Amino acid sequence: MRTLAKRLMAYERPGDRSSGTTSPGAFYFNERLRPHLATLYGTAGYRSLLSHALVLADAEVPWLREMHMKADGSLEGLEALEAHLDPDEILEGKIALLSELLGSLVAYIGPSLTKHMVGDVWPQISLNRADFCDGGEK
Amino acid sequence: MKKQNETAKLAVPKRGPSRPAKVTIRKLPTGVRGLDDILGGGILEFSMNIIGGAPGCGKTTMAHQIAFANSTLERPALYFTVLGEPVLKMLRYQQQFSFFDESKVGGAVRYVNLSDVALKRDLNAVLEEIIAQVKAANAGVVVVDSFRTLARRASGERSDAEVQSFIHRLSQFLTSWEATTFLVGEYADEEIHDNSLFTMVDGIFWLTQMSERNSVVRKLQIIKLRGQETVPGLHTVRIGDGGLQAFSRTLGLISSSTKLARRRYLSTGVPDLDKMMGGGILEGDSLLVAGPSGTGKSALATQFIAEGLRRGESGIMAIFEERPEGYKRRAATFGLNLKAAEQKGRLETLYLRPLDLSVDETMQEILDAIERVGAKRLVIDSLVGFEMALAPGFRADFRESLYRMIGALTGAGITILSTVEVEDTFTGLPFSHYAISFLTDDIIRLRYVEIDGQLRKVMVVIKMRGSNHSKDIREYVITSKGVVVIHPRRTDYNGLTTGIPTQTGPRKAQMDEASPEPKAKR
Repeated sequence: MRTLAKRLMAYERPGDRSSGTTSPGAFYFNERLRPHLATLYGTAGYRSLLSHALVLADAEVPWLREMHMKADGSLEGLEALEAHLDPDEILEGKIALLSELLGSLVAYIGPSLTKHMVGDVWPQISLNRADFCDGGEK
Repeated sequence: MKKQNETAKLAVPKRGPSRPAKVTIRKLPTGVRGLDDILGGGILEFSMNIIGGAPGCGKTTMAHQIAFANSTLERPALYFTVLGEPVLKMLRYQQQFSFFDESKVGGAVRYVNLSDVALKRDLNAVLEEIIAQVKAANAGVVVVDSFRTLARRASGERSDAEVQSFIHRLSQFLTSWEATTFLVGEYADEEIHDNSLFTMVDGIFWLTQMSERNSVVRKLQIIKLRGQETVPGLHTVRIGDGGLQAFSRTLGLISSSTKLARRRYLSTGVPDLDKMMGGGILEGDSLLVAGPSGTGKSALATQFIAEGLRRGESGIMAIFEERPEGYKRRAATFGLNLKAAEQKGRLETLYLRPLDLSVDETMQEILDAIERVGAKRLVIDSLVGFEMALAPGFRADFRESLYRMIGALTGAGITILSTVEVEDTFTGLPFSHYAISFLTDDIIRLRYVEIDGQLRKVMVVIKMRGSNHSKDIREYVITSKGVVVIHPRRTDYNGLTTGIPTQTGPRKAQMDEASPEPKAKR
């Protein structure tokens, strides 16, 4: 799952035209996933998923503990940490969080439907079912 | 005269083109096996329906089957969830069913969670959201699950009139947008009379779940369906790998009933028995063979099927007591090769001992097999075993269901031989512990009698509906050829039907018989 998360994050990095992102200080993947999953699961449901993913990921990337989740499921607090963190550390945290979030989805609805859903959110990325199968590096 | 003609013209109703054409209402398939038959062909397009009942009856699964069966990218199904089962859970569980086509999710089948709007705002906002989503997607099917939760939530703050207004506006909008709608909700039976929602909708699909002893029985009732005749009553429902399956009380056989122009006599495979029956079994008859254990009921049933196969008539053997291999081995000892017929697809042997099936499901298995092989002959061996194989909760319906099935199958020209085990008494000649006359056209009774120091077997044709038959009581044996009638009627004994006859004629010399009835190998 981590490999896939890395691939997805490549589309979120500064200067990537397809995502239009310019700043490492935002969780763009969350902004992409949030409306899609909130439509399916409700805002509260999405917040539950994300909070669980945060707890799992912050064991690996401690700075994620400083993040605050807003009522709509968006994340804030990264801007304040940017000055103290290396861009690679920031990227590592985002990958860990996205990886855990996708892992939760796979656990809930299985690899096929998760692939389908991720494909809707990132239509420009070519995905394989194997990207979502168990046994991969999380 | 002219006036008379004018009056006559008025009296004769106009026909054909002068009458405005009725609107043709398309019927949508439900995707639930058996349900289209119950509904009289399917769900009426653009109708608004309730799928209601207690928790665990299969409401959400039924709604999913309908959504998946009727969704395309151009006219998708929108599945609105409200404060009930979260979508992720729904997806988790529903994908286990074979109807669930993952490739449709997000495209032809789209899920929309209305919980946020329902919790934070009012019914108007919910309606606006539904309208916006339906318009944007051009939805053909709309499901709101759970509608009751939505209405209950609203009614806490608003009056009933507000809820009614919401339903009315929702119905108007969805009909105008040519969407077929399903409102899913957990309702109690008594609410049907008190809740105006049930008056406003076009169809009510009611699912219930009852338990009796150790078995659980799910039932479906179409309480209401505007503009279409449905099969009345409670229909058994089962949830399996394919989702819900409904078993119509008529078993879908009403339309298949065909009158045979000319009914033939079919051979039983026992020539002397055919003669006793006046030529054999009339095609499309139901014959009951009753007798105690070991009298050759199954042997006779095997011969009946084998004779049909020999004459090019495919058959089904539904057996409930003996194992199929034993059945086939015995048939082989009679020189009957059932395995070859099975391999050619002309015979199916159904071994049904599931212990928790409903009578309708069991009958559906039989009907499916009949259709597969194009059977003309059916053996049910035995009725007692059939009844025992059912879940306790279904046994009460056994006779009624059996009656429906036998009536429908014989009506379609299939000839049925059923066996039933009866205990021999030595005072009378019972045919069955069932009230059987309504189940069968013809009855053959087998029984043991004590003659000349031996326990022998006799048979008698009790009844042949609509045709004459022999009144003789004939002795028979079971040999390597199967059941063989051996003697003309006996005139030297009275009271054969009691099993302990009295000798009235002169005693004949008895030959030493080391083994008068070589037992068939099994």
